[in-house]
Amino acid sequence: MQEREKIRGKIAIIGIGEHPTGVFKEKSAAELFYHAAKEAIRDAGISKDEIDAVIIEPCFADRWFNTDLIWSRAVQELGLGGKCKVNVQVHSGGSTSSQALRMALGLILSGQAEIVLVAHAEKLGSLPSEEVVRIFSTAGIYEEWEAPYGLNYNAIGALITNRYMYETGTTIEEIASVIVSLRKWAALNPNALLRREVSIEEVLKSKMVAYPLTSRMCNIVCDGASAYILASAKRAEEAKMPVYLLGMGGVVTHFSLMKADLARFGWRKAGEEAFTQAGVRPSDVDIVELYDAYPVSCLIQLEELGFCEKGKAGKFVYEGHTWPGGDLPMTTDGGALARGHLGAGCGAALIVETARQLMGKAGQRQVKNAKIALTTNVGGQWMDAQVMIFAREVP
Amino acid sequence: MDGRTGYDLCEGGTMSSHKERFIPRFSRWGKPFWEGAKRHELMIQECSDCGYKNYPPTLYCPRCLSSNLKWVKASGKGRVHSYTVVYEYPPPGFKTPYIIALIDLEEGVRMLSNIVDCSPEDVKIGMPVEVAFIDVTEDFTLPVFRPLKEER
Repeated sequence: MQEREKIRGKIAIIGIGEHPTGVFKEKSAAELFYHAAKEAIRDAGISKDEIDAVIIEPCFADRWFNTDLIWSRAVQELGLGGKCKVNVQVHSGGSTSSQALRMALGLILSGQAEIVLVAHAEKLGSLPSEEVVRIFSTAGIYEEWEAPYGLNYNAIGALITNRYMYETGTTIEEIASVIVSLRKWAALNPNALLRREVSIEEVLKSKMVAYPLTSRMCNIVCDGASAYILASAKRAEEAKMPVYLLGMGGVVTHFSLMKADLARFGWRKAGEEAFTQAGVRPSDVDIVELYDAYPVSCLIQLEELGFCEKGKAGKFVYEGHTWPGGDLPMTTDGGALARGHLGAGCGAALIVETARQLMGKAGQRQVKNAKIALTTNVGGQWMDAQVMIFAREVP
Repeated sequence: MDGRTGYDLCEGGTMSSHKERFIPRFSRWGKPFWEGAKRHELMIQECSDCGYKNYPPTLYCPRCLSSNLKWVKASGKGRVHSYTVVYEYPPPGFKTPYIIALIDLEEGVRMLSNIVDCSPEDVKIGMPVEVAFIDVTEDFTLPVFRPLKEER
């Protein structure tokens, strides 16, 4: 069997749901979760009794609700018990959503399931700030070899940014231009947290957090939720606007930055696998929904996935190619840096946005005639590289 | 914490009371590193079977899965691979600003550490550094790095 026949066109996203990103102190994680899940079920036009499997993503901020979900609270309270045979949590930090998709793919291709619900809710935005600081200086950080030196995620982003700039000659203005691009998209997204546009000067003048990253170059954690319904290609024929998975590539490379290539990571290999399966090239891609969390992440991916030459991505973004109206729209919901960071659910939000664009339902920020999109996820200290390619039709 | 909130998969070490340093729990295989630090020696692992130089320490050799990992004293010299200066939102107890760096040791391993005795403006990628030791408590000494002094 050829590489491309394994996955291409075998499953599709048939419905999406989302709760806006922000701080909603009055709403529980359960409320956000159910909002997104119900919207996805309604959008898919399916009966909730048709769902064969429920894949839950973790909620960092509410441990009690998180364990409720593991033990099937959503199945009971949303009445999903018709033929549901799997309720399970998948967790790989920021790359959770691509792995959830991969598990769903396996269930569907092996005939274990025809329809799968993937759902996520986060309440990090409602936690006291000292609790957020504690989570992001412990989760995915070596207790013995890194915590004694005061490492946290802003510092991880900064170490990568500094080395990337050193190796490629990219300027801090070019790094900051990623924020300008993401904010322009968020301004068009009613579900985003930071909807005000910013200039490069404003980004650079904001408070220094972890050199060279200023506060505008660091993400803000939020409350929010997203969900999507996956179906077999056969079942997807009945859907109004199925969005097909064409290919998927991934590598898991390390735990700590001590073992990583800071200017590249594993993106090249993951991208080649995804493009081979999909049978398309970077020049065929209409939209890139790149996982940000920190601006340098988008630049490394643009280069390693074949959209820009090494060291040229900063100039590419600076010149506006990724902005609304540009020739390669990037992270069109604003990403973790402008829509807001949703913990493990950042990737789910990107997958939902990908489907929304390809379904033609992205409102003011709709990319005209978008047919093929590339979406990425990455977790921890950029421990992995996950690449998915979706399309409105199977070419 | 009230148990209703909080991501508590990560409960671990403690803060030392007087020097604002986090004291981790030691792994069984990492103990010789910390014992070396107490003697003010920087110790790294080397696989007796395949020769792989290993940091951070592990139970088995990550290259050949051998259990025959011996400890060798590192020169303590290296160069800054990358760095950052933390100004805001440090983990509990850390006083800002402080420098975090990835150090490429002469032995070919990379170590995350702090750079001390150096102002934030002076640290540069590629800069030569040497190990120094902070005696945090009687039982815990932390290896850090400082700019390499002129050859003596």
